[in-house]
Amino acid sequence: MANSIVAIRAYRDGLHLIIRPHLSIAEVEEAIQQEMSRMNQPLVGASVQIDLKCPLLKAEEMAYLKSKLQETYNLTVRSIEAFDEQAPPPIAAAPTTHALPQRTEMPNNSRDSEPSRIIPYTIRSGQTEDFPQGSLIIYGDVNSGAEVRAGGDIVVLGALRGNAHAGINGRLSAVVIAMDLVPVQLQIGNFISRRPINQKPRGYPEIARIGVEDVIIVEKFVKF
Amino acid sequence: MGKVIVVTSGKGGVGKTTSTANLGTALALLGKTVVVVDADVGLRNLDIVMGLESRIVYTSMDVIEKQCELGKALVKDRRVDGLTLLAASQKNNKDDIQPEQMKAICDKLKASHDFVLIDSPAGIERGFINASAGADEAIIVTTPDVSAIRDADRIIGLLQHAGIEPINLVLNRFSPQLVGNGSMMDQEDVLDILNIDLIGIVPEDTGVITSTNRGIPLVYEDASPGSQAYMRIARRLTGQRIPIPDLEQKGFLSNIVNWFTRNR
Repeated sequence: MANSIVAIRAYRDGLHLIIRPHLSIAEVEEAIQQEMSRMNQPLVGASVQIDLKCPLLKAEEMAYLKSKLQETYNLTVRSIEAFDEQAPPPIAAAPTTHALPQRTEMPNNSRDSEPSRIIPYTIRSGQTEDFPQGSLIIYGDVNSGAEVRAGGDIVVLGALRGNAHAGINGRLSAVVIAMDLVPVQLQIGNFISRRPINQKPRGYPEIARIGVEDVIIVEKFVKF
Repeated sequence: MGKVIVVTSGKGGVGKTTSTANLGTALALLGKTVVVVDADVGLRNLDIVMGLESRIVYTSMDVIEKQCELGKALVKDRRVDGLTLLAASQKNNKDDIQPEQMKAICDKLKASHDFVLIDSPAGIERGFINASAGADEAIIVTTPDVSAIRDADRIIGLLQHAGIEPINLVLNRFSPQLVGNGSMMDQEDVLDILNIDLIGIVPEDTGVITSTNRGIPLVYEDASPGSQAYMRIARRLTGQRIPIPDLEQKGFLSNIVNWFTRNR
């Protein structure tokens, strides 16, 4: 199973240790230990870059983490980079097993407080709907050649066959839901994905969101 | 007071002119007074398909420039009563006509005819805007392929924005064989995307080529499948309720399945 707090990735410039939002440094420690135990071969003597995809760690936390990595796994920290993409602050409740911890609502950026626009008709080729202030709900289809863009989520109560861009202001927690999710192109934040060739409608609603692995994933939509 | 119907598609070559000529002739054969208007200024074709090109003296441009009366510019089709053609100028450009001028012509024509059918040029620019300026209703012609359908979808959006209603669909060049073996979209797929009312399906008919070349619309031949389809559409336009026959040719296997389910 992929770890929702810590990931170790090999990039062109070497190993990266990615740390996502978490509750305490102990949780990070445990996640590192889990991630290490998944490896077939232990990482010994390697150097890693830490990518912070969470609010910045305190200085003493960082020092603790560095020494821990050195002592326990013999890893040296090469550099530290912060990739704070509007990462929400850690939340009080423990994340549920499958949920997206970074999506559990931030007070100033939530679905509750922002407006939604309802489009009560089908959006046809050449037409666009743009709503940077919040989410779009479409009672109809979005046809091939049409485009919908929203600051928040996009919900299509019909077939999505055109282009959709959710989270245009960079919100990576935005989702796209459609009864038939067969878009030409789909964007969430600055991530983009393209329809596979000859994709047929599946006959059930689907949801697209950014998964833990930082790619847009599409799965059967059951409930929020 | 008659009604003005624009026949349009977005994409070229899907059968707008053929449909206009055949529906106009079919409506006249049903006893209606009809004028077919070529709105494709500079690229006129309707006169050829109708077989009337040698008899054109004045065009809609001459009417707009007040060179002649509107009634004088209407070319009478001698084969059937009540059918006339208003040709487009071949020398001019689409920008030479204003939408208001086109609307004025349509308003005059519908006062004295049951049906005014306007043959729209392809595209969404000035030619299309002129063609739909005076329209009360629209007929969208599309073939069952994705590019024609995307263009039709665009046109439907523009027509709806202009408040033209109802918009009916003619599915042209439909091939039951190709649908049967799964290589053509069926009518449900098309209607699912376009979401407008279907007024008729015209099967692929090679007779269209010979009829175009001879200048005799297909509806004069009773036996051809295309002719029958256009006659049915014309009857529906006059308000008759005629069911759309199921042209889809099911594959061998589904025929067997149907046979079993029918006998259950």
